Amino acid sequence: MLPFLKMTTIPLSNIDVHDRAFCISHPVYDETILSSIRQLGIVEPLLLLNSSPPVVVSGFKRLQAATDLGYWQVPAVTIEATEKEAVLITIHSNIHRGLNIVEKANALERMLHFGFSREEVFGMMNLLSLGPHEKVLTALMNLANSEKLLKDFIYRHSVSLKNTGYLLRFDVTERKKIIQLLSGIHITEGSLRDVLELIGLMKVKKGRIGFKKIQDAEDAVALRKRLQEETSPLLSSLEKKLKRVKEQASLPPGIDIKVDPFFEKEYIDILLKVKSEGDVKASIEKLKTILEDGYIRSILELTKG
Amino acid sequence: MNLQRVERVATQGSIVRDCPGTQNHICCGYKTIDLVEGCVLSCSYCILQAYLNSQSIKIHDNIPYILSQLDDAITRETGHILRFGTGELSDSLALDRKYRLNQPLIEFFGEKKKALLELKSKWAYIDHLLPYLNPYTIISFSVSPQRIIDQEERKTSPLYKRLKAARKAQDAGCFVGLHLDPVIIYPGFEKDYQYLIEDISRLLDLDRVIWISLGLLRFPPQLLDHFVEHNRKNLLHGEFIRGEDGKMRYLKQQRIKVYRMLYKLLKSKNDGLFIYLCMEREDVWKKVTGMTIRDNEALVGLFDTRIKNLYGGSI
Repeated sequence: MLPFLKMTTIPLSNIDVHDRAFCISHPVYDETILSSIRQLGIVEPLLLLNSSPPVVVSGFKRLQAATDLGYWQVPAVTIEATEKEAVLITIHSNIHRGLNIVEKANALERMLHFGFSREEVFGMMNLLSLGPHEKVLTALMNLANSEKLLKDFIYRHSVSLKNTGYLLRFDVTERKKIIQLLSGIHITEGSLRDVLELIGLMKVKKGRIGFKKIQDAEDAVALRKRLQEETSPLLSSLEKKLKRVKEQASLPPGIDIKVDPFFEKEYIDILLKVKSEGDVKASIEKLKTILEDGYIRSILELTKG
Repeated sequence: MNLQRVERVATQGSIVRDCPGTQNHICCGYKTIDLVEGCVLSCSYCILQAYLNSQSIKIHDNIPYILSQLDDAITRETGHILRFGTGELSDSLALDRKYRLNQPLIEFFGEKKKALLELKSKWAYIDHLLPYLNPYTIISFSVSPQRIIDQEERKTSPLYKRLKAARKAQDAGCFVGLHLDPVIIYPGFEKDYQYLIEDISRLLDLDRVIWISLGLLRFPPQLLDHFVEHNRKNLLHGEFIRGEDGKMRYLKQQRIKVYRMLYKLLKSKNDGLFIYLCMEREDVWKKVTGMTIRDNEALVGLFDTRIKNLYGGSI
């Protein structure tokens, strides 16, 4: 049980509001909490560590809202605790609301900072539904120590740990440009993974990321396409040739020619969509024409390397 | 060299297996002996990094059990000359000086005279085996340009040592095998492979090279991310696609171009060389060699003919 000392209303000027040693919240500004406090005031008191001056252990979002609303005092409970106990208190007092990935990273970083053992940190990772592995912990430490821009992006887009790991492979300047690149685009978790993988590949292959070649893409599909053109120019040129031949052949809606997406298989599929014998007859006639005009041969050539 | 833990494990189940091969690609019908699992050489592109999770290297040293499995496999086979190798899940020679696992196998194949044992390696030390070598053991080396050895195969023997060891095996009466696998596409690779083939033809007796395999770099998809993370520029220079077997491999037009170049260079040194493609498609075989190899059986047949030609009636 916690040794609660007293509940009181304390002037903000008496609290060290800049001390964020126990803060794991991200972002600290919370519109919902601000609205709630505007309506009813602070219902749940802040937890303060009994130090001189007192520092906040839990309630950073409430503190931010109170400051934004011009409050000069807040309700608070002061507790007697060691720094390690204070870290656990801040984590456990927030855990019920469901921590986002940045907050989980912050929590673990604080634990390591205040001297918790690896085993204790891994135990907390279990509690936070994180795989207790060294690699995961390293990625989360890197996230906790990363710039605000990245943390905000990860929070806003609910980026998975996997994609967070991909983002952390880039340096700060690259990350800034990648976030700018993605800011105007609706991007799903799956397409974000594809895009980040391709940007990573581009960086290794070319020694740098050619942002000029991929900027201003209108959506995630276009961005991925441009990245593929940069990282796989031969495959992209085969795709373009195939498209051109199919356009020249003027295939009617009832006929399609499917080629292996990587031009690996030696054969092609010719699909006919027919409703009547007449449709079959017309399709065969059309196929005969494109066969004689050499379009089928041109397509087969593309699959032969 | 060896920082990994090596442990002897109880030998059970099938140690002698068919090479897994891959779907829609022509396989040479090789048999693997899983004598050792894991490798100390840790080449940057090695599929063992994705396949074997354990940090330790496992040795199966119940030799009588392994020999009985080999005996069964050889006795059962009536149609083909079997080729066995220990280099699928490990390097055949890297640990052998210390653990001496190959000697009883070499002796077994020498007595049996019905099948071949291939010791495939990037570790050029065979002196401890010289007294036991016989024509039924093939000493093989995977070879790459020295630039790739320096950058991607850092713990292995340099090229000239591998070729010198291969020559030593030839001088001891063995046939040797060469594996240009993985062939890696990087800026200037054409010239480097040309020099490599020059070195091979200068240092080895090409008439006593039983086979040469060509295999362009291929790997499970999970390694692609590993290569990106570890900035393996050489390995990522070419264009990769996901093949029908699920493995990443270079685009077919790149593969054909490179295989053709290597095939021509090798054949220009000795037209009698037996060169095969490892895990390739029928149409790639055709474009590169002009041969129609419809299935695994056709390729195994080529091996049988090659071995019979070299060994006469003694196998």
